Amino acid sequence: MSVDTSGVDRETLLRPIHTRTSRYTIAVAAALVAIGVWLFFYYQQLEHGLIVTNLADWGSGGGVPWGLYIGAFIWWVGIAHGGIILSAAVRLLGMDTYQPVARIAELLTIAALSCAGLFILIHVGRPDRLVTSVLPAWPTRVQWSPLMWDVTVITAYFVLTGVYLLLTIRYDLHRLRAQLPDRLEPVYAALTVGYSEREDQVIERMVWWIAFAIIIMAPLLLHGGVIPWLFALLPSMAGWHGGVQGPSFLSIALTSAVSGIIIVAAAFRYAYGWEELIPDAVFRGLAKWLGFFSLLFVWLQLQQVITGIFAAPTTLQHATEVKIATPLYWVAIGLVILAMVYAFATALKPSLFSLPALVGLSIGVLVGTLVEKVLFVVEGLMHAHFDLYSGVPGAYTPSAVELSALVGAIGIVALFFLTVSKVIPVVELHAIEGDHGSSVDATTATAETSNTGGER
Amino acid sequence: MDDEEMRRLLEQSGYDADLGMRMAEDAQRVAAGELSETKFYGRYHEELLAEFGQDDREFNELRDDLDGEVVTEADDPDGLADRLASLADTEGLSRRELMAKGGAAAMALGVLAGSGGSATSVGGDSGGDDDDRTRWGMVINLNNCDGCLACMVACDQEHNLSRGSNWMYVFTYEDDYQEDDQNFLVRTCQHCTDSPCTKVCPVGARHTRDEDGLVLTDYDICIGCRYCEVSCPYGVNYFQWGEPDVPESEINDEHQIDSRGRWVGSRPPEGVMGKCTFCVDRQDGQMGEEKIGTTACEEACSMDAIHFGDMNDPESPPNQHLSAYFDDNENDRSEWENRSEHTVSSFKLLEERGTDPNVTFVGNEPSQHARQVEGPVTYESVGLVDNRKEVLDNGAMASAGGDDA
Ligand code: SF4
Ligand code: SF4
Ligand code: SF4
Repeated sequence: MSVDTSGVDRETLLRPIHTRTSRYTIAVAAALVAIGVWLFFYYQQLEHGLIVTNLADWGSGGGVPWGLYIGAFIWWVGIAHGGIILSAAVRLLGMDTYQPVARIAELLTIAALSCAGLFILIHVGRPDRLVTSVLPAWPTRVQWSPLMWDVTVITAYFVLTGVYLLLTIRYDLHRLRAQLPDRLEPVYAALTVGYSEREDQVIERMVWWIAFAIIIMAPLLLHGGVIPWLFALLPSMAGWHGGVQGPSFLSIALTSAVSGIIIVAAAFRYAYGWEELIPDAVFRGLAKWLGFFSLLFVWLQLQQVITGIFAAPTTLQHATEVKIATPLYWVAIGLVILAMVYAFATALKPSLFSLPALVGLSIGVLVGTLVEKVLFVVEGLMHAHFDLYSGVPGAYTPSAVELSALVGAIGIVALFFLTVSKVIPVVELHAIEGDHGSSVDATTATAETSNTGGER
Repeated sequence: MDDEEMRRLLEQSGYDADLGMRMAEDAQRVAAGELSETKFYGRYHEELLAEFGQDDREFNELRDDLDGEVVTEADDPDGLADRLASLADTEGLSRRELMAKGGAAAMALGVLAGSGGSATSVGGDSGGDDDDRTRWGMVINLNNCDGCLACMVACDQEHNLSRGSNWMYVFTYEDDYQEDDQNFLVRTCQHCTDSPCTKVCPVGARHTRDEDGLVLTDYDICIGCRYCEVSCPYGVNYFQWGEPDVPESEINDEHQIDSRGRWVGSRPPEGVMGKCTFCVDRQDGQMGEEKIGTTACEEACSMDAIHFGDMNDPESPPNQHLSAYFDDNENDRSEWENRSEHTVSSFKLLEERGTDPNVTFVGNEPSQHARQVEGPVTYESVGLVDNRKEVLDNGAMASAGGDDA
């Protein structure tokens, strides 16, 4: 089922590195502006404290102590699952169709995890203590605090993905060195230090195992585990409890992740005329995944709504009733259902497929998942079991400071891709030259590329 | 038994004989009514801590037996009396002889002799379970409360709280299931034995103090993630969102630093979590010996609703209040002997959440249908803020405005 990208030459692959357009400059400027806006607002938060957010204490305080920052944190970790899906498909299942977008997905994982970390940093009242308080406490707190589990698993995921990326990048950089710009020589030298072609086979196996570890760890332990457990284990809030949170969180993560990949891959294809390198078939395939994950998402929402309203305990019933009475919740669900319907329709009738439409719907899905996550956190906190307070449910709308962080984070991801794509190929060399995934052809591929390399 | 012999016995125990002698003397004074029990407790609390590490359980037992033996002469099979008897046996002393020295004095001896596995260690329980430790708690009699909010004001002032940060909070509520129009619920931190807030804290800032069960926040460690607040079923946590109303320079260290040298008392600094501390500064004797075992809210309550003390001590003020109240409301069981012994309703708040709270309420528990209503005294009229979000929203606006200007 491989897509034929063999006609694509190396020059196409390296186009982002070799070109400099004004569009690129504008994109960088836009990203910097987005980051600047956020920094402007964040400076106020640093100066005055979290009082500049619209957060407040629950209880007599009449507010909600966790809000957009925590919702966005979960959302970014969800998007970071793109790397897993693609490496699972390509490395473990040999679905070479997705080879051209595999590295983009992994880079998205790194960027999204960094943003997740950023949101924790700006969420806490004493960011200056993150290192001095967390590190010494780790050995004694890691068996207790779900938040410490999160920090641990996310760090492990970040490191594994980073290693995975580095190992696969070395292979490409070595073979493409001659075509890469000299001014970045020190970077390439550092990235490929100690590389020899003899390591390829060993690396191939290592990469397989790392991919395997990530695939087991990230969905089952991270988004189907420690992230939902942040909420599901607490005795305080009615809407958060229950084992369904694991699968539900995971379904939302996978849905967001596929959307994220579709958007970034389409952006690269558009910017560099990569119709051949990332052909429609890749997006058609991704659309099917999006449809399938959306279906799971909607189905797990249904589970929660049904169990929450039929004959549920009063507090849970109340929380669920409020949830389904919230128009914004239905906007979120509607956006996901829309994408799902479109994905299945194009599967049945391929002529309906249009990349801009898919990208638009993917953006819609990301909006929907973000809304769902923020609502989950905020509405969850509004419906405590103990609701005698007239201040419960509390009120919350994100402040400009909080919203600006979202803009800034998107700017950071954009800037990350704009920068990285100027340094390393964002599509693996294997996508155009031989098979990286199944070890059958690994030797031939190496031989082939070595030959090509020899023509220098 | 003369003083000589007593000293010899004490020395054999391997513990501080001087301390034992002094305690024995003071214990006699307590028995004679010359010294209050609380004073006595305050005087030796620290020293016993030093002598036996952080475990002062034997000492509580002493307090129990002080009253148990001297006052009522009741026999306590597992307690100190038993140990003393067997001690007397081993040492060839008659129990009467021991008691002649003043029962209380002998108790002091027993405490020291019985602690740790010393050579003269006596029979009976070594009392290793938690029940022998101090566990600060409250009995709040809601039937006595008239909603005057004096406790809220006292707490606010004593701990320099920022507006709306109501460590003590008094609800007035209406409940279809209760006869009165106005019912009260007086809410502190429940200082839960199985507290979710301490479990979830990623850095161990929120912790339970071993020696007396206080649930405290280490202001030097807290990162301000607010996970404790989110996990607490009672909504008793108040984060310091902005600059505190009372600056650091106006608060003495005695209020802030506890007996272990950790910053856990008074209002939290910016970016850190705060909540009711059960007046930790008082419990550590830093506001004077006479304040040990009291709280600001309890002191301010003229209706005798709040009773603070050691829940593991049957003779502590809260437990005494509870039993006295039960006794006063005895059920008439002459016709139906299976009726409950008394007619008083008591409860722990949200006990089904599994937190094992250390606050017991006398009175009716608010039902699911209870609604908070305006009380006889409004929060504003006593200078307090109810809905803190209003203050915070103003603060946010002021900061933003300030920056624009
Ligand atoms: S009442 Fe809340 S804050 Fe207090 S100990 Fe219990 S869980 Fe912790
Ligand atoms: S806010 Fe502070 S005390 Fe509470 S869980 Fe976070 S670090 Fe611990
Ligand atoms: S015990 Fe102390 S800190 Fe707690 S509510 Fe009463 S006065 Fe406030």
